Amino acid sequence: MKNYDKLINDLAPRKFGKIGVIWTSLLIVIIIIGLVAYIDQIRQGQVVTNMRDYALWGIYISNFVFFVATSFVGSITVAILRLTNNTWRTPLVRIAEIISVAAIIMAGITIMIDMARPDRILNLFIHARLQSPITWDVIIIPTYIVISLLLLYFPLLPDLAILKKHFNKKSPKLSRIYGFLSLNWSGSKAQKILQEKSIKIIAIMIIPVGILLQTIDAWLFSTTYRIGWDSTNFAPYFISGAFVAGVGALITVIYIVRRVKKLENYIKDSHFDKLGKLLVLACLIYLYFNINEYLIPAFTAKKGEAVHLDTLFTGHYATLFWLVTIGGLVIPIVVLLFKNGRKPLPMFFIGLIVVIGSWWKRYVIVTPTLLHPFLPIQGVPESWRHYFPSLHEWLITIATLAMALLIITLLVRYLPVIPIQRTADEQELLKTDKNSES
Amino acid sequence: MKDRKKLYLISFVLLSVFLITSGFHEVYGQAKKNKVRLKADYVKLMDREIYLDIKATSKIEKKNVKVPNIEVTIYNEFNDEEIELGTTITNMKGESKFVIKDLSDIKADSTNVYNIILSFRGNDYFKKASKSISFKDAEIKANLLTKDSLNYIKATLIDKSKDSVIVGESLDVQVQRLFRSLKIGEEFNNTDESGTIIVPIEEGIPGVDGNLTIEVVLNDHDEFGTVKTFVNAPIGTPIVDESTFDQRTMWSPRNKTPMFILIFTNLLIIGIWSILLYLTINLFKISKTKN
Repeated sequence: MKNYDKLINDLAPRKFGKIGVIWTSLLIVIIIIGLVAYIDQIRQGQVVTNMRDYALWGIYISNFVFFVATSFVGSITVAILRLTNNTWRTPLVRIAEIISVAAIIMAGITIMIDMARPDRILNLFIHARLQSPITWDVIIIPTYIVISLLLLYFPLLPDLAILKKHFNKKSPKLSRIYGFLSLNWSGSKAQKILQEKSIKIIAIMIIPVGILLQTIDAWLFSTTYRIGWDSTNFAPYFISGAFVAGVGALITVIYIVRRVKKLENYIKDSHFDKLGKLLVLACLIYLYFNINEYLIPAFTAKKGEAVHLDTLFTGHYATLFWLVTIGGLVIPIVVLLFKNGRKPLPMFFIGLIVVIGSWWKRYVIVTPTLLHPFLPIQGVPESWRHYFPSLHEWLITIATLAMALLIITLLVRYLPVIPIQRTADEQELLKTDKNSES
Repeated sequence: MKDRKKLYLISFVLLSVFLITSGFHEVYGQAKKNKVRLKADYVKLMDREIYLDIKATSKIEKKNVKVPNIEVTIYNEFNDEEIELGTTITNMKGESKFVIKDLSDIKADSTNVYNIILSFRGNDYFKKASKSISFKDAEIKANLLTKDSLNYIKATLIDKSKDSVIVGESLDVQVQRLFRSLKIGEEFNNTDESGTIIVPIEEGIPGVDGNLTIEVVLNDHDEFGTVKTFVNAPIGTPIVDESTFDQRTMWSPRNKTPMFILIFTNLLIIGIWSILLYLTINLFKISKTKN
């Protein structure tokens, strides 16, 4: 019983410390600045962005693709590890679920930011053409948001009931909220059966839906018949890229949460080691698809493709392209192949550069292609031939990233980041196992 | 004192330069009127309409410019008398089409020549101008011939004033197309002693439902103007309509979505959202389960 109380004390949400308050305040300030920029964008129109006739998808879309990719972490780490009965997943899954929820909500918001007239959003549904991948995207994103929320919520029920009891005296108000959210969870057999059945269904369902989400995201590009996007490889390329972005984000957040919440006894070095192996696998698969994406067009060297690849390999985007490829993919593979590279601190840095690399990778996918149209760019101002985000675009995009981090921060603050009931059950199970062995 | 005189002088010179280069120039420019050049072509479309194709131009600053919005009056000159036929106003391209309802409404002289005078009275910008044209009435009789499975167009050019055929004039034979007629046959098809030409029509010319409209034209003739006749010939290769407008395709509007997309997508949506509904019901059941 003592151990159980200690477990709850360790894993129950705690108030922000000084750093937590500063961090949250900083995020709120960034969001407010972004909000002001967004209001100005609505007032003045998208002329405040640097998107023009050619670069009509800019940083907003690359940011959207990044969020969609990151949300894939829910499908892979949670669902796959759950279905394959990998018990080491327990302290990691909730953080993955939280990242998934934050990322997919922000993906939905980001795509609305890209719309010049958000007041016409209902037209997307009213005048939807089912032939259009954009319509599929409009359908799949809310679907994935609901699935991600359910994937987070169902396993939370027992923990919410525990927290209700835990905060009963300390904070009755919080206790009432946890009580309301726990849906009268008592841990009865009937409730457990319903919960386990539901989690299993979600875990199975989120895999095809997650793959569908990434595929539709890729088809938004590959169905446009543009140089650099016109590829049958694009969906698996995006799925593997999402695998990398998702696991990279997971490692980064896990490291920070473990450190801030002092969870070293629960999230151990071995977890980082396993996550490192998962990330290196993801990076290798993604590298394979990258080689496919660039080698074959370079080999066949159709005129348009050759010009596009020149821009990436040696031209205007070369620095960014090689930084993203080598820094965000090759170096992580090399480092993670070594055991010492899979220790928590190196893993944190690797996770961080993988996430940054993943973000810029989307930029490299989106922008250069738009600046290489089939018909030559003629009769337009010189500035339309290039694209670099405007101040408005940067402020708004940084605010969306801050908003995602704020969602993660608040969920980490108010929810147990490590499943309490499941950890208790597993420890109990271990004891039983040891007793039976002895 | 000297300085003040100098100042007056400089002011006077500057004022003069300013007035000459701006206001005076404008006044002078308005006072000068330009000449208008009128041009008219007589066009007779057999069994359709007869009209005068009028163009007004002017040479301004060494450039030929089209003169829009001027009123041109058309007269029929007969026995030194000018009978007004009507007026027309040039469009923005400086062009106008004056339709002669019936040639019998106007009078020809003793040699059966019709004399027409176009007159512009002048306005604030352009001087008055006039132009006279003369023409005789001619017609082309054309029909389709088929000989040994080959198709020909046979056309005869007739001078209506003498009711005799016209020999040795070149007629153009062409097929009506969307932007510009397609010329067929030889470059010059001169009428023989019976005023006739026979031109073979090659096979395989596409037409809507296989119908071709063949034109036989006497083009811009000094005496007869332009005379054109039309022959409908159902000898073309029918155009196969490859439009997918009525089909359900990936590029159709939403009411013509392909069935497989409709069925597959809706099945997916209904399937997934049914499960989500079931899961939500499970949440409700959990909350209602008694201990």
